[in-house]
This record gives sequence, structure tokens and C-alpha cells, in this order.
Amino acid sequence: MPSTDVVVVGSGLAGLATAVRLAEEGARVVVVAAGSATLSWAGGPLDVAAVPPDGTPRQGVANLAAHPGHPYAVLSGDIEAAVAWFDATMAHGGLPYEGDLDRPLRLLPTALGATRPAAIVPAGMAAALEPWRAGEGLVVMGIRGDKDLWPAAVAAGLRRAFAAGSGPGPASITAVTVAIPDLADRRNRSALDLAHRFDDPHQRAALLAHMSRALDGGRSGPCRIALPAALGLEDHAAALAAARDALGGPVFELPMVPPSIPGLRLQAVLRRRFLALGGRILLGEAVARVEVDAGRVARVVLPAAAREMTIRAPALVLATGGLTGGGLVAPASGGLQETVLGLPVETPPEAAWLAGRADAPGGHPIALAGIRTDDQLRPVKPAGVRIVGGLLAGQRFVDERCGDGVALSSAWRAAASLREDAGAPVGRVAA
Amino acid sequence: MTTTTDVLVIGGGATGAGVLRDLARRGLRGLLVDRGDAGSGTSGRYHGLLHSGARYVVSDPLAARECAVENEVLRRIAPRTIEDTGGWYVQAPGDPDAYAAGFAGACAAAGVPCEERPVDEVLAREPGLHPDLHRAFAVRDAALEPWELIEANLADALARGAEVRRYVRVTAIERAGRRILSVTLADERTGSVERVVPRVVVSAAGAWAGGVAALAGVSLRILPGKGTMLVFAERLSDAVINRCHPPGDGDIMVPVHTVSILGTTDVQVGDPDDTAVERAEVAALLDEGERLFPGLRERRVLRAYAGVRPLYEPPADDVGGAGTAAPAGGRMIRRSHVVIDHASQDGVDDFVSIVGGKLTTYRLMAEQTVDLVMRKLGTRARCTTAEEVLPGQEPRHNHWLGARLAAHEAAGGGDADLICECELVTRVELDGFLDERWPCSLDDVRRGTRLGMGPCQGGFCTFRAAGVIAEREAREGASLEAVAGLASTSAAAFLEERLNGLRAVAWGRQLQEALLVEGLYRGVLGLPRSSVPATEPEAADAVH
Repeated sequence: MPSTDVVVVGSGLAGLATAVRLAEEGARVVVVAAGSATLSWAGGPLDVAAVPPDGTPRQGVANLAAHPGHPYAVLSGDIEAAVAWFDATMAHGGLPYEGDLDRPLRLLPTALGATRPAAIVPAGMAAALEPWRAGEGLVVMGIRGDKDLWPAAVAAGLRRAFAAGSGPGPASITAVTVAIPDLADRRNRSALDLAHRFDDPHQRAALLAHMSRALDGGRSGPCRIALPAALGLEDHAAALAAARDALGGPVFELPMVPPSIPGLRLQAVLRRRFLALGGRILLGEAVARVEVDAGRVARVVLPAAAREMTIRAPALVLATGGLTGGGLVAPASGGLQETVLGLPVETPPEAAWLAGRADAPGGHPIALAGIRTDDQLRPVKPAGVRIVGGLLAGQRFVDERCGDGVALSSAWRAAASLREDAGAPVGRVAA
Repeated sequence: MTTTTDVLVIGGGATGAGVLRDLARRGLRGLLVDRGDAGSGTSGRYHGLLHSGARYVVSDPLAARECAVENEVLRRIAPRTIEDTGGWYVQAPGDPDAYAAGFAGACAAAGVPCEERPVDEVLAREPGLHPDLHRAFAVRDAALEPWELIEANLADALARGAEVRRYVRVTAIERAGRRILSVTLADERTGSVERVVPRVVVSAAGAWAGGVAALAGVSLRILPGKGTMLVFAERLSDAVINRCHPPGDGDIMVPVHTVSILGTTDVQVGDPDDTAVERAEVAALLDEGERLFPGLRERRVLRAYAGVRPLYEPPADDVGGAGTAAPAGGRMIRRSHVVIDHASQDGVDDFVSIVGGKLTTYRLMAEQTVDLVMRKLGTRARCTTAEEVLPGQEPRHNHWLGARLAAHEAAGGGDADLICECELVTRVELDGFLDERWPCSLDDVRRGTRLGMGPCQGGFCTFRAAGVIAEREAREGASLEAVAGLASTSAAAFLEERLNGLRAVAWGRQLQEALLVEGLYRGVLGLPRSSVPATEPEAADAVH
């Protein structure tokens, strides 16, 4: 029977960050993931906190930490170290992020033609957050036939969004739709198709030549250029640099609908790092059951293709997400269930789950559902378990924009706690 | 501004559209107005069933006979809107033997075709049904697409000189004694006001007919009966399945397009705009549905919605007339329709209301209404609506999701970008609709194309459709500022509507998907919360 020090269930930001942290400490870690995780939905910015919307992430964390039930109430002390670790890990992986906890939240344009607050973003989005200078315009550029970026709609929406926001925005916002002859007959492309083209140096040069010509027709004076978030998946740095060169100005990527290339890049960096540290990832596997000996996690059973596979492990990290991620399910018979261990779920009154309109401040009460833990992220039982990320109760990750910060700080805390739990690095003791 | 017309038709449901068509075919000028889109009221919120008539053979044989006749008429004049699924009446465990014993006889007496078949045959064809059925009867039920039926009626009328105004509300009816002098119309979108001088006013406002009558100073008692339905994400049967028992809640399952609709409840409500679905209604529907389809509760529910029946309660002294009703409300009220001549009843010569009835009999209701209008105007012309096929009725297969895409490719292909992946709505189809109907809302687009009706309930296509609209408007030189709201505000309103349909069925994959979509729009894409217009959750139509 294979054995490991820790099994991490879930390969989103929280799961991969926990796995990497543990592996960096020398633990043997297996990541088990049923699906591709919600990173393929993530827009790119690192959301730590956006309350109030014009403050800094650090202020936001402090505000949220003041709510007794919020994960930050126990995790806020770890956010600094966790974000620093994330920055270093991303930079090391060739996907540097810019901004920090003390940078004021600014308005990042999106592919919806709306804006959203952001402070820490991948380098490919950083140009969007610089203060707008007098006379500086914005050109929204898309590829004709791209179903998920409509430059005219984005430009029109952004004009309204910046007019409604406080502070200066672009002096002008225009739309340019580029016809790429090579793509004219190809239908139903996604951002992935475009990203693959930007990865290839030859196709990249051809694309950018078309885009540059189209831009020259639509540009008057200094401007920034907003592009679909598809500037390469494997070789984003080269694609970004080439785009800046070819278009002759600051460029930035617009967060888009899935598949989110910025999210996939982030996932790839963390996975590479984890595998380089000797970690093992089992994809497409849900956990069949967890066996407990004397009140402590002992074995994780996976329903592998032909027969069950059992991994001996004294520690288990649940990074399965909340209702959106699939860590919680709502059966038709009512209530909420935690999917791996059947842990008790902190559940708002069912009649109020979706109470209020879609635009009610704070969102729906169901967002708060999750697993309640102690300050070491341990659920009531069994021993050896930690809860990280979206599965933690008490957060409204959409409205508070705290999901990434909770993921990283809980990963940081869980890894440290498992280390202390064992009295020594887990790698040595638990084996 | 004042315009004149022969007949002003108030209400763009199936009945109003049918009246407009019949008027046009008999040589009268008609103007139809609706406070919303055509088919945005009860006609668009029913279960999608073309009745065989069998449901009413015991409780209301006249209504049953009318259904049976009109069923055959619609199969002839509107084949494209009908999927001939056939239907079964099955006696499930616990259903009364006596009802099933008398069922075939009652069908025969009412002129409703019905044939008893071996239970084994039904179970072989419909393996999802309860295995312990006692008896089964085959009937001529089918699935009927309401919006296409309404649009085809309107198109036929428009081709003959009729006029249709959507999103136009009747705000006043000016009367002098027995005459209606004029009707005031307000355009809900532009705010412009118009006076119309009609020779006759026909109210086909259904559940809202009481309010229209009140504008003319006439008392008309409508008992709005709310019926709630559940949309399942798959076809659970090939044919329409009915319980063979006295009509009740949750006893009809209709396969429509790629989904199934379980109906209905019957709850008397005070306000015809009250279409909020209660969780208790959903629970009751599932309890009953389980008796037909064991395990139904575990199937994915896309949405719940409600429509409001226009049940008519005649004045107490109106005994023995066409509109005689049983004393109790709800299902005891006759489902047959009543053409009310307000000349005899209320002293208003040129005002007619058509109330009650069912979508299956809309054409007959229209015919009888127009017969009365013709008598009032002293003219004569034969009704031809039962004989003449509606425009655009090439047959197709509704149950095959790829049908529209295949038709598009057969026509030479072209730009087949899929805007809505769940329902396979192409860019070409969307452009075609917008060419005809712009300016319109995304909700209108949904009724016209099925955009946003699949499992993601508008999660991706809403955003794309808004983008298409913005691009078109920019290309056509319209001010971009004028359409700036579309990409966010209109998407927000659309999503709010989807949420309304989910509230009472918030479980399972559908809840997960809804939360993901909300996270995408509000989180990733920054949809501003403040941008949702302040409307109450009443605009949620049927999804089928």
C-alpha cells in the first residue's frame, strides 16, 4: 500500500499552495483532484480583500478580520508572509505579479466592459492599474470572431464605468476589432486557441503585425492597449514583451470568461513547482472514503479505474472549495453536505440561501456556508485534518474579494500547523 | 397623436394573436398592443402541452371536446410548432380504479380519441415510469411551442395589414355612455403617448382582463390561478405522461425541446403578476411527480416558473349562460372560455372580453370573438383560420438539439459561431432575430431564439449576445453610449431573472452552476451590483 505524509484533496489555489508549502518543508505530498479546479475560472488578479473598495488590501483584511466568524479573524496574521511567498514563487516560476498589500485598489477593466477593484495583478495586467495621465487614451482591441471579447461593447461599457467611478480615467476609450485573415474561417474559437498562437513565435509575429496595422488606424496620441487575456499560455513573458514592442505602448490583458488563461498560467506554475519538489498529482480522482484509526486519519481510498486504491496518510488537507468548487453539495432533500468526510457544515437558514436580489449588498447568505474550524484550521474531527480555501465558513469570496487571500493564508497556516502537529517536519515524523 | 383602427386588441398572448390573425383574414384592420413582449404573459408560462382533451373528459366534457377538435386543427395549421410526442394516461399505484374504469368511456362520449394499451408496452417505451402501473391509455397529446405559434399568428396578420405594438400599455379607456371614444396607449420604452380611436375594443388580456375592463368602467371578475411548473434538464419521457385520475397537482410531464416540464399547481392569487414560486409548491410537485417517475427528485431541475390562469367567475345572477361556473374556485372552475359581450352585460356597445380557456383552444376562442366583432360591425366574412396553414410551417424535429444547426448547415453554412452553446443558437440566428426585432431586450431574444434556456441559464450567451448587439449598433452608427448599458445592465437584469427561477429549486448541480456564473460575473468580470434595475422578481418567464 502506497504511503505518504499528507494527502491534499483539490488542486485550486489553496490546494496547490498547501501542497507546495508542505513539499518545500520536505513532506511527501499527494494531491488528489476530481476536476480541473476553479483556477480555470479565475480572472488573474490576486484577490486578497476589497473592502472598502478604495482602500488597500491590508485595510480590507483588517476590516474582515474584525468579523469574528470570518477566516481572516484567525488568518490575518499570516497574510503578509503568505502573499510574499506567493510573489516569490510566481516570480521564480516566470509569472511575476505586481502590487502589494499596501497598494490602493484601482479599477481594472474587464471583458464585460465593467471595472473591478484590484491591487495585486500579474505583470500582464499591471499597466491597467497605473494612474491615468492627462490626455492618455485607451484602445480596446479584439480579434474579429472572438466570441468572448467584443471591443465595441467593452469600450462603451468602460466609458460608463469610468465616468461613474471616482478619480481620473482614460481621456478617450475606443474600440478596434482586428480581422486576421488566417482566422477568418475558424469558428467557435476560445481564448486557448489564441493563446496557443501567441505561444508560437512565428504566428505571434504575424498576429501582432495585423494588430499593429489596425491600431495605427485607430490611435491618436498616447494610449494604453487592452487585449484579450490570451497573450500566450506556455510562453506568456515572450508574448507580452512582443506585444508591447509591436504595439508601441503599454498593453494589458482583460479578465475574461473561462477558460481563463491567467488562471491556467498560475495553475501551471504551481503544478510545475510542486512536481519539481517531488510531489505527486492524481487527476480525475474523487475520494471514495477516508479511513480513520483511533480518531486520526489513517488511509485515503480512491475509486481508481479497475479497483480501489488506498494511500496510507496520517494527514489530510481538504481544499475542495465551497459550493462552487464542489467541496459542498446541496442535495435535493435539503441541507448541505461536505463531500469528502461528511463534516458538519455551518449552514445559513435554507429559506434564506438566495434571499435578496442578485444585487443585494454582500450577496446571498449561502455564500457564508462552509466548515467551521479552530485557529489551526482543524474541524471537530478526525485528527490530522486541515481545511483550507473556499471550504472555510464565514467568507463571501465574491463580494469581499477575499478568496485568493484566504486560500494563501490558510495554506500557509495549514502547512505550519501540520508541521507543529507532528512536533517536527511532517516528512520525517509521520513517515 | 391620434390613430384610427377597426379593432384594438389588448393582449399579445396566443388568444390576442389569434384574434388579430382572424380579423386580418376577414378583412378588418386590427391593432394589437401588449404591455410586454408577445407571449410574455400566461401563454409563455404554460407547460407546453397541446391537450388531447382527455384531461377534462370527466370534469368538463365540453372543454374536452373543444380541445380534441382544436388539437387536430393545430396539427394541420401549425405543424412546425408541434412535436407529435403522443401522450399516455397511466393509472399509477394509488390512483382510483373507478376513474380509470370510466376513462375510456368518458373519452368516447366527449369525442376524444383514446385507446387502452398493455402496461408492458408503455413501460417498454417509457422505462422511466413507475413499474407498477395498473392501466394505460394512449391519447393525442403533443408538445406545443407557444412563442413560435404566437409569432406565426402575428406574422400572418402583419402580412395582411395588421399592426403590432409591443411594450405598449393601455393607460386609459375613454367612454361616453355606451360608446368607447378612444383608448390611450403609452409606450413603455419611449414614454410616448398615443390616442387610438377603434370601432371595437377586444380585451384578450387573460389574467389581466379585469384590470383592462376596469379602465372602461366595467366590472369583470377574474380569479388568477397560479400554476407552478418545474423544468428538468433532460427528456424524462418520449411522450406526454398524465396520471389517470381527477386532475390534480404535478400530474403532467411534458417533453419539450430538450427538457421536460412537470406541471402544475393551482393556487388562487390576488394579483395576476404574482408568479413567485414557493418552495412548498416545488415540494408538492416533486412528491406527486415521484408517483409517476420514481427517483425524480434526484434529476437536475433547471428552473421553476409559474403562470397565471385567467379563470373567469361570472356574475352570480348569470345562471345557465355560456359562462356558468361551479361555486368552488381553482380546478372546479370550468376551463372552457367565455366571450363576453359587454353591450348586453354592462351597457358598453363596442367592448368585448375573451376570458378563460386554454392555449390549445386559442384559435376557437379567437374565431368566436371575431364572430361577435363582425356582428357588432354589421359585416360578414367566413372564418378561415382553421383551414389556412400559418406562415413558416416547414416541419422539423424539436427534440433534436442539433436540428437548427443542421438546418443552417444544409442551407450552405456560413458564420456558424455558436453564441449559446446549450441551445445551439448561432450568430446568424441571433442576427436574424435582431434584424427583425431590434430594439428589443435580451429577454425578447430568449423567447425568440431559446438563447439562455439551457443548463447554464444564460451564463455565457448573455454576455455574448450583449456584445453582438453593441457591435451591431456601433456599426450602424448609433451612439455607443446609448447601448453602453447592454453589456452590463441588461446582462444583470437577465441574470437576476435566471436567479428568480432558481430560488425555489436551489440544490444540486444547478445551484452550483448558478453560483459559479454569479461568481464569474460579479467577481471576475466586475458586474456592478448597483446596475440591476429596481424591478421586482416578476419578469421570470417559462424557460421551456
